[in-house]
Amino acid sequence: MNKRITDEDLLNELKIRFEQNKKALTELKQKSEQLRKVNEKLKESESLKSHFLSNVTNEIVNPFASILGLSQSITSLKIDEYEKIRPLAQLIHSEAFNLDFQLKNIFAAAKIEAGLAQPELAIVNIHSLIESIIESYRYKAQQKELKIQFKYKSKNKSTSPHEFPTDSEKLKLMMSNLLNNSIKYSNAAEKIEISSEINEKDELKIMVRDYGVGINKNEQEKLFDRFVKGESTIHSLNEGYGLGLSVTKSYVESLEGRITVDSEPKKGAVFTIYLPRPEETSYLEGFSDDGNQIFFEDSDEEF
Amino acid sequence: MNQELPIYYLYPANLYAPQEHYLINTLLGSCVAICMYDPIAKIGGMNHFMLPLWNGEGLASPKYGNIAIEKLLENILKNGAKKHNVIAKVFGGGEVIESQHHYFNIGLRNIEVAHKMLKELNIPINGESTGGKLGRKIQFDTFTGSVKMKYINKQQM
Repeated sequence: MNKRITDEDLLNELKIRFEQNKKALTELKQKSEQLRKVNEKLKESESLKSHFLSNVTNEIVNPFASILGLSQSITSLKIDEYEKIRPLAQLIHSEAFNLDFQLKNIFAAAKIEAGLAQPELAIVNIHSLIESIIESYRYKAQQKELKIQFKYKSKNKSTSPHEFPTDSEKLKLMMSNLLNNSIKYSNAAEKIEISSEINEKDELKIMVRDYGVGINKNEQEKLFDRFVKGESTIHSLNEGYGLGLSVTKSYVESLEGRITVDSEPKKGAVFTIYLPRPEETSYLEGFSDDGNQIFFEDSDEEF
Repeated sequence: MNQELPIYYLYPANLYAPQEHYLINTLLGSCVAICMYDPIAKIGGMNHFMLPLWNGEGLASPKYGNIAIEKLLENILKNGAKKHNVIAKVFGGGEVIESQHHYFNIGLRNIEVAHKMLKELNIPINGESTGGKLGRKIQFDTFTGSVKMKYINKQQM
């Protein structure tokens, strides 16, 4: 069967096909553009990683050198010079404190990347947990004459308004990271406000606000990526590895919460964490065995 | 019979590959879990990923399929499994209603990355229950390699 095609039909058909080709081409272009962007990002992340490895040596070796040197000078003090011990010991403590904090972030990041960061839920006294973190940063804050204010309120009219089920170790590291950042990026003699509440949605909300250098919009997007550090105009030496916020974000997500940042350059920054209340069963008896027991019967499918 | 065995509840974005005999439990919505198992060495492990590919954001964690699959294989090989013996079973990727994120077709994309990567790694898929509209509970026996599965009618995982 021979069907005759008119020239017009042919032209129309060709036109349609050209259109389709064109559309496919633009889609392809868009896709390859996306691909290029992802590729760039992975490359950047990779180079940051190798940069990180060379940095680690310095950032671990230097504090150790000062700890060794300072403790050496304590041991060589004469018996009547013991009033000099205090400032030296304080310096040792702050170096060791920093080192410990940095190492915690490194190990936390390694654990998250290895898929071993399981939430371990228990009832936690949020009020005293936050206070203990603030207390541990008191010396650091004093050095910059920063004032830390802490407010706690609970909208939940329960018998224990200070308690909330969560992972206390993870929450401690999250809080340390937020507080450490706010101290780091504050100018001298400013204040830092921390407030915490259990809100109407029965979420634990923790807000850390500083009035320091702030973060511009472009940087805010990258803030939670690994090995990315904010610009610091205050310290000539910008310590840390840029792991803190990426660890914090992963932890928040593992607790099914979210973290937000609100900031403008020179006006400071507000970081807010929201953690929903975990389902009752998952934390009551520890977490792993009874809490998430799954019962199967013989009739269930097997693979 | 399995009452005495230790049970490990696997959370999303984590993976578990023990050397001992464990039952690994997990709950799946649009997430995908892959159980890898070496029937000769009797070594197994499970991952549980939420998104298909890592795009350089945040940490390179097993929240992402491409990383979770590589890491799981790495882990069971470390425990003594042999690559040419390893088989896989794939579960999850249902199109349940997600409250947390609104990615398009996330379940299907998770399944796709599982198929693609297992093929590239030459790991045969010996059991599978993916897609659909329901969530799943699974329990993996790391010594026998068997996986029990139950559908659940849960709106969000």
